Amino acid sequence: MARFFDNIWVQDAIVVFGFALVAALIWRGSRNERWQRAWKRLRRDKVGMISGVVIALYLAVGALEAIQIPHREWYSVSILGWLTQSIPHETSYSAPFAKETLSVAKAEALNGTHILGTDALGKDTFVQTLRACRTALIIGGLTSAIYIPLGTLLGILAGYYRRWVDDLIQYIYSTLASIPEILLLISILMVLGKGLGTMSIALGVTSWVGLCRLIRGETMRQAERPYIAAARSLGQSQWKIVTSHLLPNVLHLVLINFVLGFSGLVLAEAILSYLGVGSPVGTASWGAMIDGARSELSREPLVWWNLTAATAALFGLVLSLNLFGDALRRAFDPKRG
Amino acid sequence: MKKPRVFRVPELSSLTRLLFLAATTLWLAGCGNDPNPRPLHDKRPDGSPWLVRYGALPDEPRSLDPQFAYEETSRAVLEPVVEMLLEYAPMKTDPYEVVPCLLESMPEHTANPDGTQDYLCKLKRGILFHDDPCFPGGKGRELTATDALFAWQRIADPKVECPVQSTLAEYVAGLAEVAEAGKTSTTGFDYSQPIRGIEIIDDHTFKIHLLKPYPQIIYWLAMHFTSPMPREWVEYYDGRSHPDGPGGEMQIRPLYKWKPVATGAFVFREYTPGQRVRLERNPHYITTRFPEGGWPPEKEALNRPLAGRALPLVDEIDFTIFRETLPVFLLARQGYLDGMAVSKDAFNSVVTVSQQLTPRYRERGMTIEKDIEPSSFWLMFNMQDPVLGPRPKLRQALSCAFQPQGWIDIFYNGVAPVSQQLIPPGIFGFQKGFTNPYGPDLEKGKRLLAEAGFPNGRDASTGRQLEMTMDVTATGATERQMAEYEQRQFEQLGIKVRVIENTFPRLLEKEDQGNFQIASTGWQADYPDPENFFFLFYSKNFPPTGKNTGRYLNPEFDRLFEQMATMEGSPERFEIVKKMNALLLEDCAMIPFFNKAYYRLISPFAPRTHNNLMLEGGVKYAVLDYDLREKKRREWNPVANWPIAVAVFAALGAVGYGVMLNRRRNV
Amino acid sequence: MFSYLLRRILYAIPILLGVILITFLLSFVVQSPATRAKVILGKRATPAAIADWMHHRGYDKPRFFNTKSGESLLDSQFFNHVKKLATFRLGVSDVTGRDLKEVFKEGAIPSLLITMPAFFVGIALAVSIALYQVFVRDTPLDTFGALAAVAMMSLPPMVWIIFGQAVVALSLNYFPAFGYDLHGLSTVKFLILPIALIAVMGLGADVRLYRAIFLEEIAQDYIRTAQAKGVSNSRLLFVHVLKNGMISLITLIVAHLPLLVMGSLLVENFFGIPGLGNTLFLAIQQGDFATVFASVYLGSILYLIGLILTDICYALVDPRIRLS
Repeated sequence: MARFFDNIWVQDAIVVFGFALVAALIWRGSRNERWQRAWKRLRRDKVGMISGVVIALYLAVGALEAIQIPHREWYSVSILGWLTQSIPHETSYSAPFAKETLSVAKAEALNGTHILGTDALGKDTFVQTLRACRTALIIGGLTSAIYIPLGTLLGILAGYYRRWVDDLIQYIYSTLASIPEILLLISILMVLGKGLGTMSIALGVTSWVGLCRLIRGETMRQAERPYIAAARSLGQSQWKIVTSHLLPNVLHLVLINFVLGFSGLVLAEAILSYLGVGSPVGTASWGAMIDGARSELSREPLVWWNLTAATAALFGLVLSLNLFGDALRRAFDPKRG
Repeated sequence: MKKPRVFRVPELSSLTRLLFLAATTLWLAGCGNDPNPRPLHDKRPDGSPWLVRYGALPDEPRSLDPQFAYEETSRAVLEPVVEMLLEYAPMKTDPYEVVPCLLESMPEHTANPDGTQDYLCKLKRGILFHDDPCFPGGKGRELTATDALFAWQRIADPKVECPVQSTLAEYVAGLAEVAEAGKTSTTGFDYSQPIRGIEIIDDHTFKIHLLKPYPQIIYWLAMHFTSPMPREWVEYYDGRSHPDGPGGEMQIRPLYKWKPVATGAFVFREYTPGQRVRLERNPHYITTRFPEGGWPPEKEALNRPLAGRALPLVDEIDFTIFRETLPVFLLARQGYLDGMAVSKDAFNSVVTVSQQLTPRYRERGMTIEKDIEPSSFWLMFNMQDPVLGPRPKLRQALSCAFQPQGWIDIFYNGVAPVSQQLIPPGIFGFQKGFTNPYGPDLEKGKRLLAEAGFPNGRDASTGRQLEMTMDVTATGATERQMAEYEQRQFEQLGIKVRVIENTFPRLLEKEDQGNFQIASTGWQADYPDPENFFFLFYSKNFPPTGKNTGRYLNPEFDRLFEQMATMEGSPERFEIVKKMNALLLEDCAMIPFFNKAYYRLISPFAPRTHNNLMLEGGVKYAVLDYDLREKKRREWNPVANWPIAVAVFAALGAVGYGVMLNRRRNV
Repeated sequence: MFSYLLRRILYAIPILLGVILITFLLSFVVQSPATRAKVILGKRATPAAIADWMHHRGYDKPRFFNTKSGESLLDSQFFNHVKKLATFRLGVSDVTGRDLKEVFKEGAIPSLLITMPAFFVGIALAVSIALYQVFVRDTPLDTFGALAAVAMMSLPPMVWIIFGQAVVALSLNYFPAFGYDLHGLSTVKFLILPIALIAVMGLGADVRLYRAIFLEEIAQDYIRTAQAKGVSNSRLLFVHVLKNGMISLITLIVAHLPLLVMGSLLVENFFGIPGLGNTLFLAIQQGDFATVFASVYLGSILYLIGLILTDICYALVDPRIRLS
């Protein structure tokens, strides 16, 4: 099983599938009149459009790093790695644009120029920062792929069927919500082992509750509206009512939640890194870079570039996601924006 | 008629005034950045300043019961309080030497014809336990041989859960039987029952009987496990409520394991979990005095005036517990901690490229000293692994590919020595100038790998890339980078190494089950003897009972080990140790990595009189220049005022803008 | 009201049982008791010592049902846990052997000392800034404020703490960079920086939320009526909008309140405050499951109390909602 997922083509397929899925969802949504109106409003929203473009840039960089191609020497390499292979490795820290390494027992001349310096193992900070987009993308994407369907489905079921279904689902999420998140996260990671996939599973388990509550409330409101009663009296099947009436009417909430939740997940990765259960060894991640700053800031001369680069990159993505999420909300619900 | 507009300004402004007042009060109260609490006393009885040394603990002590505690943190707190029968001579580190402490002289050793051994121990006279309510009248009584026996009984008592019980029971006569009886008894351990191997001769003399030769027993007498403890201590501190308060008020007594009462130079005063431990000088302390000589020449100026002085030299020791390492460094820099072991985190701010103190610290009059711990770190192979076990060439190839120096350069700034053998420096059996035959040599490694059947890292028969796993405990960013470095070294051979990150307990579990290929490990000496390192490779110590986690098995090595273990230090013993080391490296059960070494940042007001790392209780030799510290603290902590001005300005600006806007809108 | 409360409390019981069950299951999957014993007893622990250790703490009993003859069916680890927790006999820590009741009592004080003021200072600041923003709405300052709030949300907490510690404590020497000492007024100097950091960390999100609530309020009809009647701008804002907006605020606040006892993991770690913030985290890491059980149990009780209080608050401030 693990071997199957090690195959680079399988990994590439997963990435492509992920992007296709999001595209399909948006395409499905765009047939909805409400979405079309929202799109018109969004296009006029300057902040929203700019942040959307920034997010797209991050996605593109992340995709470049996520897609692997075969390589003669290294077996496989990401497109980004292939594009940046001319940037040499050093032995340890070096400052931006420096000529030699910093504070190894003896300073060594650098093999090249690094616009943002290098990290402890001599890797180019700028490249590492770009590569970390993939980690953010995977954490955000995979986790969303787990918690969004789960939360939406359970929320609609609870809100539509009420009675024991509602009771059961409410019981499950109340119980989960009363357990401190940190216990669930760390235990799941301890059991499944560290990795981006397992981290997504752990975060997925803890993130669906909020969405489920939201969708449940909205579904209850929708279910009382006359069109549902009409559909029911027309003898439409339950399944049909859920998929073609309820789902499209709550989908915009899902979209907003997805965008805002994504930013939360990127931040969560940074905190998990601090707690020692972040991304695995060898994975570039902003969280790990920020965590490393705890020791780097007590060096002399100060190693500030890793913290700065990672914080700036993370900040850029989270800020854009938040702004874009707000813009979406404004677009879908102009009264409350 | 138009109503005049009433402004609610008075209300608002009174609120503001209140807030301002509160803020000023808080500000005044909060002035100063000294994180240390008030000392236990302001002045000594004679009016001179009360001397407090401030130290750091990296973790919570797990227990302060000398017969139970084992890890470093507990020992650091415990050993100043609990004096041992013997102790390490403070000024001797190469080799380490054990000298009498509570004992009058070194134990008299007699080897009996039947192979059993006797050690006659005489306690010093007139040594008093700490003054403590557990004794009648609150006055400490005199130490006797019964207290030494009591410690041994506690080692045997299954309730105490002494971690070294089984090791000692193997040698000390009758210990195993008493322990067994305690386990099966329904009424608990019987303390009235004597132990055959600890014979009380008179009030101040007792004899230890050993079943077989065990010269290392001397070192166990220098550890806190065998420290004499008063029985009153365990009986009094039962963790229950008693009418101890003024006027017979009910009060809860702490549990004995959190309130050690013994004979040490310091009296235990306070342990606040998560915060600090405080010790106060023992006014009755007479057991040892400052050494008369024997220190290295560079300590002459400092130590000469102290020679023969009564101990301890300071009045109070405050240990602060730090969960993060960065603040340790911050506080040492501000003068609120009296020096620190320079952790890897703070390394580069303190030590420069050329192993000098950075100017910022030199200007402050600080100095650094290098300490090499009696410890050894290595990468171990699982010798029962189907891939690694039967292929010594593969292990040798990995060993040759591994370059520890680069790792040390990056993570220890080149301070720690690369180890070439299992035994660390300072311990009998360490061979100066020895080099590991499978030290770093990538070409040789590639050749060996090809000979092992994996040319260029690929299986000669199937063409598949060789994959190995390496288990690490990765908790922080630095540990991750360390693992990545190690991974990269091995991958130079063309193989693939997958790093598995575990929590510490998980790794222990895997090691016990033999569920790993390569893992990093190390050992800190319990006592300075090669037996304490080689037993980790002795085949009778396979897990789960022993610590031979690599499951190394070589009958020749076992035979030599059994022979060496009971020998006293001699040239013959040295030869055997040499042979064992050669066997271990040729079989390549391990890749020697490094000996932990670090710099200690020493503040000008708290110079170090000794640097013996076997001596956790060494704070009794610590000194302090009170006036200099006061002066330096003022110098090092200037307060800047401009940011407050900027903040006030910005706030006023925002309010002003609001008011202006309000006016304009109302018009 | 009373029957409602009773029902809510009864409803909490199955939830707490579920919480205990999940924690219990996790504890076994994460680490076997034998491994925990090994870690705790140190590098020379023997199998016999480990067996003893487990026996003393009841970790050698069957997990769910005791099927051994002559013993009660419910004399198992799980039911013993439930029994103990239900009667609030929290037991002692597996690692340090300290009484857990003491641990929580002692830890709650420092935790509350930083989280409570931080919470209220944070709310006061956020409400004032949000009101200010509403006051100056549709000016560049408002837009800037809204952007700044989102920007503050987008920084990870560690960056805030590292910055606060390095700049305020170290470069400016205003406060201790570390430490805690409960000793009258001098405690304050240890608390200011952590309190300020916690307050600031949450500020962005709060300001954004409160601004949205106030903006919604100001768009209501009654405000327009009041405006038409000539009520002053400041009075409108501070009296009408604030008062009505508070209704939504209070409910948000109350749900959070009980959880303040549990402290703040990151800040307490960085500043060495001996609170409850990292009790759970440390316990999970060290395999101290006696502590894990107790703190998860207490945590969920506090969470449930928060929920019930929220419902009551809703009913109190909004007469349209009836508790049923």
